Amino acid sequence: MKFQILSKTPDETARFYSTLFGWTVSADNPLGYREISTGAAAGIQGGIWPAPPQAPNFVQLFIAVQDARASVKKAEELGAKPIIPVTALPEGGELAVMQDPHGMSFGIWQPK
Amino acid sequence: MARSLFPEKLKREFEARREKNSRYSLRAFAAFLGTDHSTLSQILRAKRPISAKQVRGWGEKLGMTTEETAVYVAAQYVPDASTGRGQERLRHWTAEAMAIVDDRIHWQILRLLHSRSFQADCRWIAAEIGTTVDQVNLALSRLLRLRLLEMAPSGKWRNVMGRGQPTEAQFRKLALIRIRELAAGDGIRLRRPAIA
Repeated sequence: MKFQILSKTPDETARFYSTLFGWTVSADNPLGYREISTGAAAGIQGGIWPAPPQAPNFVQLFIAVQDARASVKKAEELGAKPIIPVTALPEGGELAVMQDPHGMSFGIWQPK
Repeated sequence: MARSLFPEKLKREFEARREKNSRYSLRAFAAFLGTDHSTLSQILRAKRPISAKQVRGWGEKLGMTTEETAVYVAAQYVPDASTGRGQERLRHWTAEAMAIVDDRIHWQILRLLHSRSFQADCRWIAAEIGTTVDQVNLALSRLLRLRLLEMAPSGKWRNVMGRGQPTEAQFRKLALIRIRELAAGDGIRLRRPAIA
């Protein structure tokens, strides 16, 4: 599982949390995704993505699965709706973003 | 937590009085509050709105402080959960539409897909367009949400609008139609005259 912070000011968010907790943030990848390394053995790692202007800053969880398409199908059967369909990532792996039956978004992530 | 409005407070007060005296009538309660039975009945059945003045006046008669009645007055202006969710969804779809209308970057990204030198790299795309990686990522997310672009494995990104390489005007038109369709699926009706 990973966390993703969606922020309207991603650089400022990166600066705040890395200063507060000593996180390392790197965007050196084809998506320019700000990957967070917390430096802690416990807990999960994450990243920061820009939030659209109509959304507040918020945190999403991305749950690692073996088969993203199967997980999306099961999620839809359980009443979830797709926000972003299964999408290949430039460096391998796939992800999708869903909205659960109660309106909360979450990510499904199939690592490469 | 359910929204606690003053009519609900009145109902609870009335029921409490009837528990002490089963013959206590709505007319008696209305007289106590200084109003008529018909007005009070309509307010309790949500057939008539209650004014801020009535909240303050009746609240005082019920022994509430001005701070307490101020909370109920403020609550009258808060949309209920269902209305709030609807407003949020309308705000979302309107914002998606405004972004398509206002920002050329979406079409610029789709146009780049047809470039022989295209690289599935948001840093390259940002440099080609002359913008920031964050702006590319915002637009990319929107194109994915609107099912206008597909990122397939091996860096094969493609425009899934089904029209080869659209002109900018064609793209905007098709994108706005897509937004209207998706909004309708979300229970939001965007008026056609506003979104051509």
